[in-house]
Amino acid sequence: MRFLVLASQYRVLIMLGLTLVISALVVPGYLSASTFSLGLDRAATIGLIAIGLTVLLIAGQIDLSGGAVFALAGIVSVILQREIGILPAAIVGILVGAVAGAVNGALVVGLKVNSLVLTLATMLIFRSLAHWITNSQPVTGTDIMLSLALAKTYLEMFTIRSALFIVLIVLLHAWLTRTIPGRNVFAVGSNPAAAKESGIASDRIVFLGFVFAGTLAGLAGVLQSLVTNTGSPVFGSELTVAVIAAVVVGGTRLEGGRGSALGTLGGVLTIGSLTIAMEFQSIPAYVQQVVSGLILILLVVLDRAVTTKGRAPGTRPALVRDKPITQGGKI
Amino acid sequence: MTGTTMEISGVNRTDRFTRGSRLVDALSKAGLALAILAVVLYGSFASPAFFTTGNLLNVLTSMSIVGIVVVGMTFVLVAGGLADLSVPATIACGAILSLGLQPMIGPVPAFVLAVALAGLIGLLNGMLVGYAGINPIIATLGVGTIGLGIVQAAVGGVIVYGSNTASAEFAKGRLLGIPVVVLIFLVIALIGHFVLSRSFWGRWTLATGGNYSAAEASAVPVKAVKAGAFVITALASGMSGGLLGLTLQSARPLIGSGYEFSAITAVVVGGVSIIGGFGSVPRAIAGLVFVQLLTNVMVLQGVRTPIQGFVLGILIVGAVGMDAALRKRGVA
Repeated sequence: MRFLVLASQYRVLIMLGLTLVISALVVPGYLSASTFSLGLDRAATIGLIAIGLTVLLIAGQIDLSGGAVFALAGIVSVILQREIGILPAAIVGILVGAVAGAVNGALVVGLKVNSLVLTLATMLIFRSLAHWITNSQPVTGTDIMLSLALAKTYLEMFTIRSALFIVLIVLLHAWLTRTIPGRNVFAVGSNPAAAKESGIASDRIVFLGFVFAGTLAGLAGVLQSLVTNTGSPVFGSELTVAVIAAVVVGGTRLEGGRGSALGTLGGVLTIGSLTIAMEFQSIPAYVQQVVSGLILILLVVLDRAVTTKGRAPGTRPALVRDKPITQGGKI
Repeated sequence: MTGTTMEISGVNRTDRFTRGSRLVDALSKAGLALAILAVVLYGSFASPAFFTTGNLLNVLTSMSIVGIVVVGMTFVLVAGGLADLSVPATIACGAILSLGLQPMIGPVPAFVLAVALAGLIGLLNGMLVGYAGINPIIATLGVGTIGLGIVQAAVGGVIVYGSNTASAEFAKGRLLGIPVVVLIFLVIALIGHFVLSRSFWGRWTLATGGNYSAAEASAVPVKAVKAGAFVITALASGMSGGLLGLTLQSARPLIGSGYEFSAITAVVVGGVSIIGGFGSVPRAIAGLVFVQLLTNVMVLQGVRTPIQGFVLGILIVGAVGMDAALRKRGVA
């Protein structure tokens, strides 16, 4: 048991270390700056969505619609390029993400419905919208040179996308650990009723959490579309499990109230380096899916094994309760 | 203040059962019947093709394939298991294996083995949800991803074709003018209905979903009941996948994607509570009939597929929101 607790505490370091060591042994030339830069760029997509999800999970909620918002925002930003120019289109794309998040948040807070079920439904809605707008065909942007510029590496290490991810995650870390609103997010996630009694506007925090997550998914989608100069309604459908896995690897609990931005950084790096290693070995995408699924399940089970003891019955928040609906949305 | 105390401690809620009020119950039944009637009326006025034998038989056949999954999914929702998202994986498992194994072991053993392996995926879901206490949606999402990946890896990510004409004839055939698939669905629905409403297992399922702690205290094997619901769903969708594969005579790895949403929509639209503890198979099937007819009318009207997904999503949000509003228990 003690071993499990230790393993669970240092899991990010252990898993990241193991991944790097094994990959370095198996894949020739793995530990080079160019691989790192490529992996970081690849991980940035997962990472940006994971930033939003970290905040939501700490607040005891979840958003499964991230992948669909990712696709929708990207499509909007590409389609509008012809009409209003590239930068305004990108901004509108990010706004689409924010609006999608606001819809999720308003429905979860307003209907008092479990966020898992609700965002499952909105995922279907956003994904259908993406197919609707594009007629299920991929769309292409106007300026391919921009994609090249965005994909350029600076300092032989960072692309714009990965630099943005690193900056945002550091900011998030500061916000979560150093500010009062950040602390309130933890309070809302660990005990909604107590947080409310202490005068924290839980509903508002949950709502803003969804808006934040939607915005970040939108940002990730817009960047992806700009880099590839394409928007496709099927983008991001395989991201959901990978993103949740990354956040959970980082030690953020599905139970709410626990988690950290730096942990998520570690989790994202782990999933990213794992993906790159598997791609170098030309392992098919469906096997990669199996791996991220396995990581997710094993870690969630580990979390349960470690946390079941020591908590009074009935004090587990939103996501793991036996009947989540009555409590889940009810903050 | 008492309200909030009860809210955080699931153990001490004042109400002992989940029970919709009679009025709500009657209203929702009448509402569903009216909705089905409205769709039928609209369909018959709007499209001359709606009330033809061919069209209705098509609706019935496609309804049956989803319907088998719906019967299982009803158990999951009633037992308080939220939803099973591994359905695409179990359907793919059923379809791919029942076609792919035909040359080696013959059609019937292939079908049985396919359904059994799908059941194994369900067992894994059940262990994670019922015994390890993992959130059902996360668990089934993860297990579904793993299962689908393994099935794809097993066949190398390609399309599998059927090789046994006799089994195809059987699956596509008719008995007394009714498609065999429809008959199989009816039999499964009847069994599901009796198990849920008349057997000890059904009572346990309702009790577990209604009040987990009370059921546990009354010596109901709650963990097994919850796990069982996922096994039932997996067996049902494995069977549904097998039948789908046999009728199409080909199976892609992604053959089952979207079925989880069709099934969940049908069950919640039918008024089965997503909180658990309330619902029946006939209700879920009524929801299924409504959703399928609505989809059919949309297809006949030339509405594009994405809009149908959009409507399904809105229906889920609406039904779940109404459910939460009408059946809020204990807490005001």
